[in-house]
Amino acid sequence: MPSQDIKPPRPPVKALARVASLLSPSCRQASRLQSEGMDRPLTFFEKFGLRIHLFLCKWCRRYGEQLKFLRNAAHQCEDHQPAQNLSPEARERIKQRLHSEKE
Amino acid sequence: MPPGTSQTAGLAEPGKLSDPERWVEEHGDLLFKYALVRLRDAARAEDLVQETFLAALKGGKSFAGKSAEKTWLIGIMKNKIADHFRKASRETSFTDLAFYSDQENDQFVADGNSQGHWLTESAPSQWSFEPGANIDSEAFWKAFRECAGKLPRNINAAFCLREIDEIETKEVCRILNISENNLWVMLHRARMALRKCLEINWFEKNA
Repeated sequence: MPSQDIKPPRPPVKALARVASLLSPSCRQASRLQSEGMDRPLTFFEKFGLRIHLFLCKWCRRYGEQLKFLRNAAHQCEDHQPAQNLSPEARERIKQRLHSEKE
Repeated sequence: MPPGTSQTAGLAEPGKLSDPERWVEEHGDLLFKYALVRLRDAARAEDLVQETFLAALKGGKSFAGKSAEKTWLIGIMKNKIADHFRKASRETSFTDLAFYSDQENDQFVADGNSQGHWLTESAPSQWSFEPGANIDSEAFWKAFRECAGKLPRNINAAFCLREIDEIETKEVCRILNISENNLWVMLHRARMALRKCLEINWFEKNA
């Protein structure tokens, strides 16, 4: 049997890190969970893991706050759209089209 | 009350078809703005205004009051926009594919011990909501629109329906004819891209 096929034993630290990463999601996973939490109820375990992660990670806490800000801004953005009217040409074109349709 | 509102409502004869030209004058701008906010494309918005009036003409209903007429026309416009979004969600362009793979891979560590952590340069920075940050200013909303305008078409469709029109997730999936899982991913990518764009183009400049 070729020697390179035998894998060295995993150091216990790595195994511990693995267990921890199973309990708490990574930032990448946490960012997705925070977004999905806005669109569906998270499962008990998802909520649990996310709580642990957010307790430990200030970047993801910020991310969550910023997502809330974005949602709020999106709700309001229509009110802040500058008044923009149909151009006179488009107005005339549409009128003519409707006129020809009516006849 | 705007001038003319009470008279129009009082004088309109029930059962009489509205003059389509009057529609364009009274509701054209409103419908145009409604479509423009969602599609961010003036030419397409004009097309949809025309389609809305044509459909209304075929529907042949009439209303005693201006506001009832407006509600009815907006209802038709909503359906036209949903059709438009459904088409967009069926076509996934090359820019959309690049957008999908970039959003996450550019922001998180790809492998090694810190796999899945924020990369130093993309970790969310502190946003200032102080009055000095002017998040109620015209310039902020301009930046917001510009960032949202960079979303690929099918992602924009999902984002508009869910976040501007505040439609329930299941209903958005029905309109776009996609799975819930697909929608969650799209919304996640949309929020991630919008967040990053606003951070770079607004919060870091106005810190």
